[in-house]
Amino acid sequence: MNFWEKLQKIDRRIIYFLLLLVIIIPQFRPIKFKPKAMPPVERLFRYIDNIPEDKALLISVDYSPDTEPELHPMTYSLLRHAFARRVKVGVLTLGILGLGLAEDALKTVVKEFQGKAKTSLDSIIYGRDYVFLGWQTPPLVVLLGMGESITKVFPVDYYGNKTDTIPFLQKIRNYRDVSIVVSIAGSAVPFWYVTYAQTTFGVRVGAGSTAVQAADFYPYLNSGQVTGLIAGMKGAAEYEELVERELNVKERRKATEAMTSQTFAHIVIILFIIIGNISFFFLRKKKR
Amino acid sequence: MRNRLPLAIVFLFGVFGILPFFIPHPIVQNLDNEFRNYHLRIIYAFSLVLGVGSIIRHHWEKIRRKKEHWEYSYVLLASLAVTAVIGLLGGIEGKGPLPTSIGRLRFDIQTIYISIAVPLGATMFSLLAFFMASASYRAFKARNFEATLLLIAAFIVMLGSMPPVARLLPKLPFISEWILTVPNTAAKRGIGFGITLGVLATSLKIILGIERSWLGGTK
Repeated sequence: MNFWEKLQKIDRRIIYFLLLLVIIIPQFRPIKFKPKAMPPVERLFRYIDNIPEDKALLISVDYSPDTEPELHPMTYSLLRHAFARRVKVGVLTLGILGLGLAEDALKTVVKEFQGKAKTSLDSIIYGRDYVFLGWQTPPLVVLLGMGESITKVFPVDYYGNKTDTIPFLQKIRNYRDVSIVVSIAGSAVPFWYVTYAQTTFGVRVGAGSTAVQAADFYPYLNSGQVTGLIAGMKGAAEYEELVERELNVKERRKATEAMTSQTFAHIVIILFIIIGNISFFFLRKKKR
Repeated sequence: MRNRLPLAIVFLFGVFGILPFFIPHPIVQNLDNEFRNYHLRIIYAFSLVLGVGSIIRHHWEKIRRKKEHWEYSYVLLASLAVTAVIGLLGGIEGKGPLPTSIGRLRFDIQTIYISIAVPLGATMFSLLAFFMASASYRAFKARNFEATLLLIAAFIVMLGSMPPVARLLPKLPFISEWILTVPNTAAKRGIGFGITLGVLATSLKIILGIERSWLGGTK
């Protein structure tokens, strides 16, 4: 086996090991690359930034643990953004696996804000500033039902409180009081919101998706059916950057930290593709 | 009768599912609300019972027949039982009748989920990065014009997503964005129309009873 043939057949364990190194090492000391926000992220940020006082942001946590590293930072950033701007937030999930993650994000971000609050006005209070509706099934019932009455679809919230007694839900009754629904998912759930909630009730829809799935959203983004898109770790890091820069919310930026590992992993993958192609061309030339 | 009844049910509810989107009359809308808000939920509740029953039966059978990796079925059944009991009786964050902590050790449903389910799920999905790296090295070759185009587009999109590269070449992320916005959208729309028309045709065939394979094997 000559040199070029050897390059064609690098043991996959070597690739795995190199990738493991470039992913793990930056985790110990991440470089904070500051990404520039691209138009889809910027559009969503600006829209949420201008939500009127009497309207709410609905965050639909529609991902599961497998995509948590990529999508959870988006939920953090959206909550930080909304709380910093004093936008009312309703959180729900269409998949049962999203419950624990939504609860975790809410608990973490509320704690961050409570730590800095000095008066009741600064505080983030359950039932006044946000509500966690929990999970209901089937999705079709939730998607269409919220257009008529949120409390009818969710008679009790995640903690077992009757929703019709919660002040937040006395003001935010259905999609007419919701400025935008942002569905964060590693699946096609945001499209369901477009198909059912937007088509029937005209509510705006934003999306957060994994990077591999992002390409599917562009037709909807171009048509205006999806207002803005946070795509993958990069999109999450861009949103974190906007939240920190424009609202001065300085908290741990998990997506920005993870971008170091992702960048080096991409470099390794690109290098291996180049190596594979160079050896491929030399071998092809030799055969001819 | 064995075939006609399911076909009639599918036809009835298939048509009933379409009508509310076209007929705004209160009779149709109220009937749709009633069915969607109450009856559909009851049907879904049954699917949970069906799902749990099916998974228990499948794994119990695996253990009984000592099929390959039957030992893991014990782990699954034990995990199912433990999490179900803690979830049902422990309440959210241990506020239920069942105690969910011993000293500082907490094992309420939220702690179990965040400490076990989330890392396990994330680990499984992260393996994809390793397979993708190895597969792209082996398969991503500029064999012909189309493959070369694909390779160039992939390189631009990958490089465009790297903040240091974007700093060196500020226009690259916008080229990457253009690839996603224009050529990608054009292809995706074509594929999307194709899929949607296919789904529509298949759905109509099922509703009208032309496509009957879902009924299972018959004479």
